[in-house]
Amino acid sequence: MTVKAAYHPRRFKFRLRKLTFSRFMLYLLLTLLVVIAGLPLFAMVCRSLMPLDELYIYPPRLIVHKPTLRNFSDLLTSLSSSTVPFTRYIFNSLFTTVVTVLASVVVCCMGAYGLVKHHPAGSGVIFAVVVAALSFSTHVTQIPNYLVVNRLGLVNSYWALIIPKIAVAYNFFLVKQFCEQLPDSILEAARIDGAKEMRVFWTIAMPLLKPAWTTLAVFSFVNNWNDYFSPLIFISSNALKTLPLALQTLSGGAGVVARAGTVGAATFLTTVPSILVFALMRGKVMETMSFSGIKS
Amino acid sequence: MTANQMALPKKKKRMGIDRRRSLEAYIFLIPWLVGVCLFFAYPIFVSIRLAFSDIVEFKGLKTAWVGLENFQYIFFYDINFVPTFLQVVYDTLLNTPICLVFSLLIAILINRKMVGRGFFRTAFFIPVLLGSGYIMKQLLGMGADGATITTGITVPRLIADLLGVSITEVVQGFLDRITVVLWKSGVQIVLFLAGLQGISGSLYEAARVDGATEWEMFWKITLPMITPIILMNLVYTIVSFFTDGTNPMVDYIYKVNFTNQQYEYAAAMSWIYFVFACIFCLLAILLMRRHVYDSGSKS
Repeated sequence: MTVKAAYHPRRFKFRLRKLTFSRFMLYLLLTLLVVIAGLPLFAMVCRSLMPLDELYIYPPRLIVHKPTLRNFSDLLTSLSSSTVPFTRYIFNSLFTTVVTVLASVVVCCMGAYGLVKHHPAGSGVIFAVVVAALSFSTHVTQIPNYLVVNRLGLVNSYWALIIPKIAVAYNFFLVKQFCEQLPDSILEAARIDGAKEMRVFWTIAMPLLKPAWTTLAVFSFVNNWNDYFSPLIFISSNALKTLPLALQTLSGGAGVVARAGTVGAATFLTTVPSILVFALMRGKVMETMSFSGIKS
Repeated sequence: MTANQMALPKKKKRMGIDRRRSLEAYIFLIPWLVGVCLFFAYPIFVSIRLAFSDIVEFKGLKTAWVGLENFQYIFFYDINFVPTFLQVVYDTLLNTPICLVFSLLIAILINRKMVGRGFFRTAFFIPVLLGSGYIMKQLLGMGADGATITTGITVPRLIADLLGVSITEVVQGFLDRITVVLWKSGVQIVLFLAGLQGISGSLYEAARVDGATEWEMFWKITLPMITPIILMNLVYTIVSFFTDGTNPMVDYIYKVNFTNQQYEYAAAMSWIYFVFACIFCLLAILLMRRHVYDSGSKS
């Protein structure tokens, strides 16, 4: 019944007015699932708004009764009495993440373009490496990674958070799938008109690959923004910590009880950018995800 | 500039078009290749070596080959590894089917034309954005303050009294799991959605003309047509549960690695863990492959 509606837009409108029982049940079920999925998020927002006396009520409350912005102001002011202000962590996170994303987009797009459109000798081997890297979990290589970074003299600097994250197999794979759809004739036409390879890449391939790299950018942003392990390993100086790590220090140190609300506020602030980035590029991401999914 | 232009035609003649394009390709690939070699290939090599050796001197990481000693220790002496590992396997075996069934169900539901479709699609995808790291831990209530959000939905008292203790426990356990599973199935839902949209509408049309019900159409058309996606999702789900940040095994390896600084031991454990994850995926693929529908297209 509902499937039929999908093929007849006009009839679909008509059915909407007549809220059938099955349709009602569908909405009810979906809303219920969304509520379950959204519950932790909702609880987090509430916790960030709770005054101290509400945070420790037993049984714990889910919904805030007297919302206050105290936690946020605490986060930004009283915590700055400690050596590093909270805004510094925000800057650290933003800086490393943005640089990583930009570099990763350029490097992975260039690599994928070269691999797919030029078929160099040994491209089969390279692709095998990509697939192997995809299925590898990162914690196998944590220590050797540290050794490499250490030998390059990058430990305890922003670069330790940026450089190892640029050449990521997943990003490469995503762009590669898209590159294969690029029509050769356009590239060939540009070459005949005398464009150098770099120019072909920047003015023709990149604009055509836009859906791929916007998606890559979103995922790369989310991953790096939320990454907790690499700053934990590579960063020891307080001033260079990123948000997730700072969050952990907030909730793990002395005076944890008094800071539960502040942690809530910090967690909330940390999630906002990811959601914003996604909201801005939602259509593209969904499209690409489905696309690359089918193809792989 | 002019020298360059002069030189190019000559080169072209000498190298041939294939060689030249290969060279160009490598110029494009170099930054990426360097990154992969430094931060993927070399670390893997070192980690394999570590797993089979003992660190003699921390400075410069001098190692001595000890063969399978680390592995023996893991299986026969370590009191944490085997139980933690079994726990992870148990969780994965339980969560994976729930996760797949749920995401397929949700994908089918939100694939219909309806009001607020975009909203629902986004709502189920948002957990993916929050990542799997520390934030996820905080949100799912495994954070430092210990207040669990997953237990937010409690079975109402009245129903609990009616059902008795044992059944309530099962239901409660299930409810707790649902939240976790829902939070981990964003990607799967999107992949299923893509698969569903790839099924040609004419199939349903034909089935309806022949008088098939929705239920029959699901079993005879939808399910067989998306078996490739099911397989892909199965592997993805297993890998993601195994490598998840909230996973006790990952926690344990991490602790051994950085708190106890037994690098070689942690490396050996990671490899065992990784190999088992691979075996699980292979098993899943072997079990599923016979049932996967092959449309005969190039992929």
